[in-house]
Amino acid sequence: MEVLIGAGVLAATIRLATPVALAALGGVVTERSGVVNIALEGCMLVGAFFGVFAADKTGSLPAALAVAILAGLALAAMHAVAAITFRADQIVSGMALNILALGLTSYLDYQLYSSTGTPPTIPLVPNVHLGFLEKVPVLGGAVGDQSAIVWVTLAIVVFLQLFLFRTVPGLRLRSVGEHPRAADTLGIDVRRTRYWAVLASGALAALGGVYLSLSVAGSFSDNMTNGKGFIGLAAMIFGRWTPLGALGAALVFGYGDALSVSLQGVEVAGFVFPVQLLSTIPYLLTILAVAGFVGRSRMPAADGQPYESEGH
Amino acid sequence: MRQPSFDWTQGPAIPVVSVLFALVLGGLFVWISGHDPIQAYAALFRGAFGSPYDVSETLVIAVPLLLAGLSVAVAFRAGLFNIGAQGQLLVGAVAAGWVGALWPDLPGILLLPLTLAAGVLGGAAYGGIAGWLKAARGVNEVITTIMQNYTIVFVMHWLLQNGPMQAPNAFGTPASAPIGAGAILPIVLPDFLVPSSRLHAGIVLALLATLGFWFLLWRTSLGYELRAVGLGMRAAAQAGIDPRKRMVIVMAIAGGFAGLAGMIQVSGLFHRVYDGFSAGFGFDAIAVALLGKNTPVGVLLSALLFAAFSRGGTLMQSDAEISSHLVEIVEALVLFVIAAETVVRAVARRWGRPVKAAS
Repeated sequence: MEVLIGAGVLAATIRLATPVALAALGGVVTERSGVVNIALEGCMLVGAFFGVFAADKTGSLPAALAVAILAGLALAAMHAVAAITFRADQIVSGMALNILALGLTSYLDYQLYSSTGTPPTIPLVPNVHLGFLEKVPVLGGAVGDQSAIVWVTLAIVVFLQLFLFRTVPGLRLRSVGEHPRAADTLGIDVRRTRYWAVLASGALAALGGVYLSLSVAGSFSDNMTNGKGFIGLAAMIFGRWTPLGALGAALVFGYGDALSVSLQGVEVAGFVFPVQLLSTIPYLLTILAVAGFVGRSRMPAADGQPYESEGH
Repeated sequence: MRQPSFDWTQGPAIPVVSVLFALVLGGLFVWISGHDPIQAYAALFRGAFGSPYDVSETLVIAVPLLLAGLSVAVAFRAGLFNIGAQGQLLVGAVAAGWVGALWPDLPGILLLPLTLAAGVLGGAAYGGIAGWLKAARGVNEVITTIMQNYTIVFVMHWLLQNGPMQAPNAFGTPASAPIGAGAILPIVLPDFLVPSSRLHAGIVLALLATLGFWFLLWRTSLGYELRAVGLGMRAAAQAGIDPRKRMVIVMAIAGGFAGLAGMIQVSGLFHRVYDGFSAGFGFDAIAVALLGKNTPVGVLLSALLFAAFSRGGTLMQSDAEISSHLVEIVEALVLFVIAAETVVRAVARRWGRPVKAAS
């Protein structure tokens, strides 16, 4: 039982789910506005690198977080210009930016830190110790000592869920993703709304990246996001383009990941349990969900379609 | 309904300009980071073409890039975006590696065609799934193929680490058993021409595949239909072409090209399947197809260009101490410029619209 629902596995689940959830939340915001941003992976990666870079150069954690988020914003801004203003193909632009982020961070990592690795003395995001939970079995070990970013993520989920479905600006953002022409007619600035949404997605993904580098690892390594941004997209889809759903999906995926570690080498009926196959669950579930075999995930109606204002 | 303007015959001006633009911007970047861009590019060029051996190594990289590029290009021609060349390549490699090692004692005349068929069919099946999901369930092929790319990576981890393909090996990387001698593609450059060249007969297969790509699209009725679907789903439907049926076929063909690339990596280069095998070719293939404007000659030339970048980048790092990742930056910039092109935009307009609504 310990390997299935022990405090260690649950704590690992939360650790593994957090960056995925942040990327997924970014995906929810941008796709709800009608822009597909597969550069979330790249936004995470620049967040992870520039967080460490700024932490090294300034020695200040707030500065590191600010620079990381600015890096995510910068990459997202490039996507916004390409996708919204130039109505470029959003997938190609996203792929290009992912490659750019990988090339840029690996290039700088090689030029700056190749001989030494990133410095071990940089300021890290502190954990939140919940002393009163120490005596509580399982729960205390699972949530009693998580990074501050985990709690921030939870707050963002609640905020975004209320924002998108209970406020007027949230309704406007969704209307832009469902029916931009109608939204335009009602006086909503489609392009502006989409710009803000894409920028927000970049910031959220970058926060996920910083969590990986300045909270979990304490350092940067090439391509350290390793597809987490894409799992985030999967979580967004599986979570039906809602913040709460995205969080739930991220936790499910994170649990699968945590199991693939805790079940390593465990034998079932004489066979070594194929833990690697557990890692395919997010991708298979996502395909099944979009295909309508597991629930039904419907994307925003105008998702991925560039919007031309009147008179074409 | 405005007609998407697909002007594929347009000259090479835009690709050439976008490459030059990316090289200049990349050079600027090298300069800002305190190095000499001229020296960097000179080292890059020497690395790719400096000696006959370097040229043959560049070609070794160009072979899978060309095939994966054709995979992406054939899907583009039919208005589909195949992000899954990477996954299809891996499935092809696994299938080829499995069949090639299954009967190691078979003579080449039997084993090589079997291995080839396994690679092509494996890739085709994987691609076909994405086509079928799109046709039958309206699932966007971009989503499916991204998910498939990751799925096969983890399946390979299992197959090679503690699954049925696990084999003892001396290199420390999980790998399958070596394929039989009959499944190996021979080296085409003799030692007296280029000593210890690794260039294998896969290059012949890749060139034949390029010819096949041209023949399929411009000399067969199926190719005509595929291009018609690519030009406009509704128009094609009115002309009596069922776009949905074509989707399965085109994604299977795309997967077949990528699967052939995987088979060639196994039969020509590594003679077994490794964990972490041929990473990234399928993604570079998107740039290759787009830069080559989905034409046979264009894809061939851009595969050579990106292969030269890749090979040259490695040498640039050891010679000029400039990170080989500069190459990725240049590649990303090329892609980014191309992203804005009208050609691609036409595909973008259909992204996300389920087939049922369109046909």
